[in-house]
Amino acid sequence: MAPSSILAVVDVATGHYLHWGVIQISLTNLIVIVVMVVVFVLALLLPFPGGHDDGGDQ
Amino acid sequence: MKTRTPDSHDFPTRRYDLVKEFVIALAVISLLTVGLAAVFSSPDEKAITMAGWAKAAPNDVVATAASELAGTSGSATYGPPYNHNGPGQMMLGVPMQRWGGVRVPVDSAGLVLDPLRGATSDQAARTALTAWSAATPAQQTAWATAYGDALAKVPDGDPAKVAAGDYGPVPALTSAFLALASSGGLEGTLTASGTFYGIDATRSLLLLSDGAYLEDNARASNLGGDQWGMMNEFGNYPGQPWMWLYTFWYQVKPFSTSDNADALVWGLMALLTLGLMFLPFLPGLRSIPRWIPVHRLIWRRTVTHVKPVP
Repeated sequence: MAPSSILAVVDVATGHYLHWGVIQISLTNLIVIVVMVVVFVLALLLPFPGGHDDGGDQ
Repeated sequence: MKTRTPDSHDFPTRRYDLVKEFVIALAVISLLTVGLAAVFSSPDEKAITMAGWAKAAPNDVVATAASELAGTSGSATYGPPYNHNGPGQMMLGVPMQRWGGVRVPVDSAGLVLDPLRGATSDQAARTALTAWSAATPAQQTAWATAYGDALAKVPDGDPAKVAAGDYGPVPALTSAFLALASSGGLEGTLTASGTFYGIDATRSLLLLSDGAYLEDNARASNLGGDQWGMMNEFGNYPGQPWMWLYTFWYQVKPFSTSDNADALVWGLMALLTLGLMFLPFLPGLRSIPRWIPVHRLIWRRTVTHVKPVP
């Protein structure tokens, strides 16, 4: 096996990790967290579907 | 000044089908779950076996067996719930684990001797077992401790390079134990012991965790306790990001340097959970929504229509 192939296998097995001080997080977990935050913010800001009659049915 | 509670009819209303929302959410999440699982599956990392351990790290198996016989292994000195040989986890001086008592008694030497007694047909191993059983506990400990110390002094813990000494039957026992593990004969012998259904893996897991092989494998996959391992998964798969706060405490002092980190982190998280439960009763904290009015974003269309209370 070529050295680059060996490195690729090791990389896949250990995953991609980011280090910042005491913080260590896998790239995948970071993506999941960022997506959750983005979905939360979108849920706050985007208008509710079909919500044009707000304040209507008193 | 006296204020009155506004009449509920003063607020605007809208039709809302909660059942419809629930059914749609359930259907979407179910489809996403099944679809994503079908595409990405889950990590299929093979379980560590005793035979695999013996093949990959035979010297570690021998060193672990010697430490179990000497009573110096991690599980042998752990304390409750396995034995009385350690204080167990304490929280601010309170011996919580000792209060729990020894509910799962484990004889560390038995982790090595029981499988040998039940499986080996090797005459040398049988002679060694007889010699071990005939010796006093003090003699047994002296033999096994001397052999463990001798193993620690040679490069890679290679039993073949250990200097001659008074080790009694310990080298023969550990050698037979390695042979049994290599043959696959150790699989299930510890798991099945003591229970009708044979699904209690406590003893086999204790034996594995007393060696360095399991820990080395975990660390290589970033699953160690000081690697935020609680929220990680093997390889590039997403793990358990919701465990971030629990595992965060293990990375910082005083928890990262404490022998009682498990109890301390558990206690802190219990305290924080109680704080979350009783947030409406905590002065200052309960005012956070006034300082950061996220709810006004959610109800921004509705709150502008509320009639002021006269």
